[in-house]
Amino acid sequence: DSHVQYERVGADVTMKCGSMDWDAAVTWTANGTDIDESHLNGSYLILKNVDLSQSGQYSCYEGSSWHLKYQTYLRVGTPPKEPVLMCRSNNYPKGFYCSWHLPTPTYIPNSFNISVIHGTKDMVCEKDAIPKNRCHIRYLQLFSTVKYKVTLTVTNALGKNFTTLTFDEFAIVKPDPPESVVAKPVPNNPRRLEVSWQNPSSWPDPESFPLKFFLRYRPLILDQWQHVELSDGTSHTITDAYAGKEYIIQVAAKDNDIGTWSDWSVAVHATPWTEEPKHLTTEAQITETTSASTSSFMAPPTTKICDKGAVVGSGAVAVCWTAGLVVAAYSVLFI
Amino acid sequence: MAAADSPSAALQRRDLCSRGIRLAGKMRADVVDLLDTYVERQGLDASASVAAVEGVPSAAVERWDEQTGTQRLLENLAAYRAFRALLAQMLEEQREQLGDADAALGRALAAVLLQVSAFAYHLEELLRLESRGIPGEEGAGPPPPPRLSLFEQKLRGLGVLRELAQWAVRSARDLRQLAKPSPAAGSAPGLAESP
Repeated sequence: DSHVQYERVGADVTMKCGSMDWDAAVTWTANGTDIDESHLNGSYLILKNVDLSQSGQYSCYEGSSWHLKYQTYLRVGTPPKEPVLMCRSNNYPKGFYCSWHLPTPTYIPNSFNISVIHGTKDMVCEKDAIPKNRCHIRYLQLFSTVKYKVTLTVTNALGKNFTTLTFDEFAIVKPDPPESVVAKPVPNNPRRLEVSWQNPSSWPDPESFPLKFFLRYRPLILDQWQHVELSDGTSHTITDAYAGKEYIIQVAAKDNDIGTWSDWSVAVHATPWTEEPKHLTTEAQITETTSASTSSFMAPPTTKICDKGAVVGSGAVAVCWTAGLVVAAYSVLFI
Repeated sequence: MAAADSPSAALQRRDLCSRGIRLAGKMRADVVDLLDTYVERQGLDASASVAAVEGVPSAAVERWDEQTGTQRLLENLAAYRAFRALLAQMLEEQREQLGDADAALGRALAAVLLQVSAFAYHLEELLRLESRGIPGEEGAGPPPPPRLSLFEQKLRGLGVLRELAQWAVRSARDLRQLAKPSPAAGSAPGLAESP
């Protein structure tokens, strides 16, 4: 006879050789390897303080004839700890799903039973094929103040455990993150980035159940995020980006009225538009182009330190201004 | 039959729906704040379960997506009329119990009552737009409920406000459904009357 035997980690296990007498001469094997006689008490096999590595096939043979008298598959494991259960509606108002897992493995097969009660009504949670530890349920009522009570029981050969979750219809609404997030530079605008995205495809009716969005962005070189909340629309233009810096951008979604924010979307990277670098120019060309800069001060042609080239900066303006003053002062002295 | 969906009627409906959605949003935010104040001032446990109270219109609905526009308006109107009476009663009870001791709660209740009345009127406007007769309010109203103990009154008040908060969310959803352009055939739920 071959069968399965489940034992707890740390337990002492005694195996009998089928119907053989205690004093019969027998040989035990574990996964085909002979077991030392020191583990025997007569014809009984004694395993003390079993651990996971002792799982396997145990066979008992009659001493002289080597007839197989008994065989068992020993599975060492643990009873289940309290399972972790989560319920969420990412497709409101269609329904919600619950998923679960065990915090630590039991090493032996477990079965799960889930019950959902809404007020006094029992509801059926249809188990998903994939993933296994998940079931989904359709809302029969909307806008109910009556709480849902979900109880998950996990059972194995060594014990059982359970957990219960109680929640409101609105509290578990959490959309999936927005999809297809795209960020693009805006031509001729060194401080802008155009971001667009789509509603998560799992959200069934964005027209009747509109989502609002939260955008966050920062240059890669900084840790601080900027945030923008958007009550409608699936696009936004960032207008305060640092010129020339690569940005990381993410978007999250939430039902306009109820529930919690989604996880952040996949991050996208973008760098604002930058002007093509100019070729090196002569002094004459620089003085001609100076008026196009933000500085309104015209540098004297001979003052090389005012050579700003394509760079515009308040520092450069101050240098030019100082040089101009010096020249003017000298001019006054020689009048 | 519903009124012909002339362009101006459609625009008016959309405008009324948009304003109604904003009203419902504001109302919900205020009811949620009022709930916090009420629970605190009345010494209640925020997570206390309150059994369905007689006379409080339940926002819960089955097959919500299959409702016609007219059904939505009529159910909403009936609910807010009931809340108007219930809140007035709560205000009266609160004044009796505490007098001027808790003016803040009284003011918050009165403010929500005003919004509920305004919303009921708004719904009547929408019904008028659809050339629907506005159902009359019951003359004498239902008989006054039996005198409740102070604690029972407080629990009842909690139930009223919780249900009102649900209704405010539902109403915004209902109005969004209403604001959708009517399909030509009129067979899909919109503002077409059910046969």
